[in-house]
Amino acid sequence: MKRLVFLVIIGLVSCSPKIKSNFANSQPKLSSDENVALLDLEHELPANLIKIGSLKFQDSGFSTDCSFNSILNRARKTARDNGANIVKVVEKKTPDIWSSCYRLNIDLYRFKGDIAALSQYQLTLD
Amino acid sequence: MKTFFKILPLAFLLFLQSCATIVSGSRQTVKFSSEPKAATVYINEVPIGKTPVEKKLKRNQEYQVLIKMEGYQTYETTLSKKFNEWYIGNVIFGGLIGLVVDPITGAMYKLTPNELASNLIPSTAVKVDDTDIHISLSMHIDPEWEQVGQLVKTGD
Repeated sequence: MKRLVFLVIIGLVSCSPKIKSNFANSQPKLSSDENVALLDLEHELPANLIKIGSLKFQDSGFSTDCSFNSILNRARKTARDNGANIVKVVEKKTPDIWSSCYRLNIDLYRFKGDIAALSQYQLTLD
Repeated sequence: MKTFFKILPLAFLLFLQSCATIVSGSRQTVKFSSEPKAATVYINEVPIGKTPVEKKLKRNQEYQVLIKMEGYQTYETTLSKKFNEWYIGNVIFGGLIGLVVDPITGAMYKLTPNELASNLIPSTAVKVDDTDIHISLSMHIDPEWEQVGQLVKTGD
């Protein structure tokens, strides 16, 4: 019975990926109307950026909500909360034999120019 | 006949493995309607269509929903994942496989609009069951828009 309770608790609390964050230069929060660009590995960063911080998404061991789109959506929300409007993937590990999750290192930036003009990743629903 | 009664409980137990996945499925249909129609629905900032519209969403994620229409106030909500009671079936009926399968498929959750946890926005109706959510709203005119006239129905 103890094992059952343990499994239920594990199932309830640990389906999200583990997130490590580091914000050195937070800015005022952005509204949901302000665009945030999602830049994958192949997308280039524009010049004149302010680095806001970085995020590291890892597999908690029981993560199930850890698709690429789901992680980027979380990163975008965190970016807005800290005043960043660029989410840049700097390191990407795709699901493999060791983990069914995407594991991403992300940098967050504030860009004063036209966000919509940047070549960027288009988020989709899983 | 005796064999039948011996097999029946076993079959019953096997059937109830992954209770929530069998009963609810790994996705939940979310239906949107509005008055007036043809408001654009965005989920996680991805446009999914104009009302009335429906979308099957994975149960193990959270979603931000925006319903926008020019001249009307934007409606905003979050679909959160709440515990699906069918998961308890695994504990009651000893479905050890289900304890693992249901979290993986996401069936141990059901999506619920956040209004149900707080106050419902006036003129919004939400119906939630095991498989579907129906969000119906009457959109409010944007107060920043100035009314310059009114169409009147004539008797002709």
